[in-house]
Amino acid sequence: MNILSIAIKEMKHDFRDRRTLLFMLGFPIVLMLILGLALTNAFSSEISVGDVKVAVKDATGGGPLSEAFAGFAKEVGKTGVTFEPLKPGANGREEVENNHVSGYVELTNQGISLYGSSRDAIESNIVQGMLASFTDKYNAAAAVARIEPAKTEMVLATGGSDYIRELSVDANRTPGSVDYYALAMTVMVGMWAAMGAGALIQGEVLRGTAVRLVIAPIRKSEIFVGKMLGGIISNLLCVMVIILFSKYVFKAYWGHHMGVVIAVLVSEVVMAMSLGLAGSYLLKGTASRGVISLVVQLMSFFGGAYFPILDDEGGGLMGFLVNLSPIRWANHGLTQVIYADNVSAAWPVLMLNIGFAALFLGVSILAMRRREGL
Amino acid sequence: MNILDIRGLTKKFGDFVAVDNMSLTIREGEIFGFLGANGAGKSTTINMISSLLRPTSGEIRILEKDIAKQSRFAKTNLGIVPQDLAIYEDMTAYENVSFFAGLYGLRGDKLKERAEEALEFVGLSDKAKSFPKNFSGGMKRRLNIACAIAHKPKLIIMDEPTVGIDPQSRNYILTSVRKLNESGCTIIYTSHYMEEVEEICSRIAIVDHGKIIAEGTKEQLKSTITDVKDIRIELKSVQGTEGELLKPVPGVRTVLQEENVIRVHSDAAVDNLNRILKQLMDAGKEIRSVEEQEPNLETVFLTLTGRNLRD
Ligand SMILES: Nc1ncnc2c1ncn2[C@@H]1O[C@H](COP(=O)(O)OP(=O)(O)O)[C@@H](O)[C@H]1O
Ligand SMILES: [Mg+2]
Repeated sequence: MNILSIAIKEMKHDFRDRRTLLFMLGFPIVLMLILGLALTNAFSSEISVGDVKVAVKDATGGGPLSEAFAGFAKEVGKTGVTFEPLKPGANGREEVENNHVSGYVELTNQGISLYGSSRDAIESNIVQGMLASFTDKYNAAAAVARIEPAKTEMVLATGGSDYIRELSVDANRTPGSVDYYALAMTVMVGMWAAMGAGALIQGEVLRGTAVRLVIAPIRKSEIFVGKMLGGIISNLLCVMVIILFSKYVFKAYWGHHMGVVIAVLVSEVVMAMSLGLAGSYLLKGTASRGVISLVVQLMSFFGGAYFPILDDEGGGLMGFLVNLSPIRWANHGLTQVIYADNVSAAWPVLMLNIGFAALFLGVSILAMRRREGL
Repeated sequence: MNILDIRGLTKKFGDFVAVDNMSLTIREGEIFGFLGANGAGKSTTINMISSLLRPTSGEIRILEKDIAKQSRFAKTNLGIVPQDLAIYEDMTAYENVSFFAGLYGLRGDKLKERAEEALEFVGLSDKAKSFPKNFSGGMKRRLNIACAIAHKPKLIIMDEPTVGIDPQSRNYILTSVRKLNESGCTIIYTSHYMEEVEEICSRIAIVDHGKIIAEGTKEQLKSTITDVKDIRIELKSVQGTEGELLKPVPGVRTVLQEENVIRVHSDAAVDNLNRILKQLMDAGKEIRSVEEQEPNLETVFLTLTGRNLRD
């Protein structure tokens, strides 16, 4: 009950702060519009996903993986994503870099590897998503094979129709820049929760009201949970407004797994809140707000909020920074969920977010326990 | 019954001792004055009573229960008016009071009734739906009080509730302190304004450097300084050199200056008024009036500490 009334109070602060609210909602929407229009050319809007061509090199020398993959390629081929054997003497990675193909798959006895085109980020994601579901099924089949060899065919056979269903949804879908920014902005706003959380406790201290909360006959944990809950709900409402606005006003595409998308965003907001809170405990004083806001800005930048970050696994400082950004994880995972119907791509993101949230919360709770007052 | 019992209370901030082995007992029904200059350790003591700070050592009992062991009981029976305003500017007066009262377990109609009652009590009923950002300093102070009393605590501690407000709001607050007391609350009133403490408190403790240096009723405190007289001399103009001028006069202890009045504290046993006046006249000072004052709390403070309360 105390938790609830503290959460409601927290939401009153959030929604009565017109200026911050306007910024939270207005900025991403305007940016979505401007970037979405200005950068249309950065997206392969002319090419439908149906034209995706992927080179394949089978180095297994036959065997179950080779066979299964052939079946998969055949099924998938009906929808326009074509897997062609790599021309003898050609280098698969160069083919991709020279934009002759959108991706390059290598089958070896160790498994499957994919080199995606760095230009067609979304096509690459789709191919990656399809391959991920293929490997899932292949692994399942292999596991079945070990126990009951006769049933292997069945697992793979049902698999085939799944790829087709998945692709028939997406094959003619052309992800445009508005779609990209709708997702990117939403993920960015989710991360902004960290900035609010940085001020969660400090705000009470500055207003002097921390005193009243601490002297009331309630537990510190109730204050803590109530404030977190209020902040999470407020931020999620902002995220929802941006999703709905982009969906119905800008007609952005959000795919068929809204529940999964929202679950990922919830986990992101919780993680962001925890990050901000831990930051405000560890970096005492008003400086912490500046630091947290800088970190969030950097995450947005490197995570692809303002321009698409390509699937450049090549490494380097940029690659390293890019992969540190939770915005990047979420963008990446959600692109697969939305465009490749690859729901399982949400799992790693959920796990990372929940894991980091638990870590940051743990740090905050330890810091809170040690303190006198809030 | 003792509503508050403090035994050997000490608080150190690093090496600095803010509250020094303090012991104090307050009975139910009192308006107890906690008088001391800025930095004396009043707020630090209050913060320990309200469990905002952990004592370095010592024990605090509220209604005879140790607050370290029965903190919920202590907190429920306590209302604190913090020295610094503790209200949300973006929530209406009513929302502020009702939010804080809600933390004391009040719900529904009861909560509404109590919140309205508290606002009524501090004279803010007509401002219930207004936001404190539009309030005057005095109104904010009154709201600060309302937030502390809606849950009807048995002990209310007010930490300098009249700092920086207009005389009208100050009178309003002093009157409400009396009314709260009449309705059965025990009140600890902290201030560095001696007139206020003298006006409303039934018993007073004078705090200095974290220690209680005197305690008792006004009369008891004043009677401890029968050996001092307080002479008030109004001059046409004051140069600030009068202290030096009067120091050599036998019996003179301290000389203070307030605008064009100098106040001389002197041994009551030494007959030195003529010497004092002569000293001033020889220096060419024009004397307007001379009177010997009844000792007040300020005299007491001065005698005990050698300093003025306002310094
Ligand atoms: N958190 C703190 N850390 C260090 N010193 C403090 C702290 N709080 C108060 N003090 C010091 O303790 C002394 C007493 O302060 P306080 O209790 O606020 O005095 P009062 O309320 O009587 O004006 C002051 O010298 C003050 O500077
Ligand atoms: Mg104080």
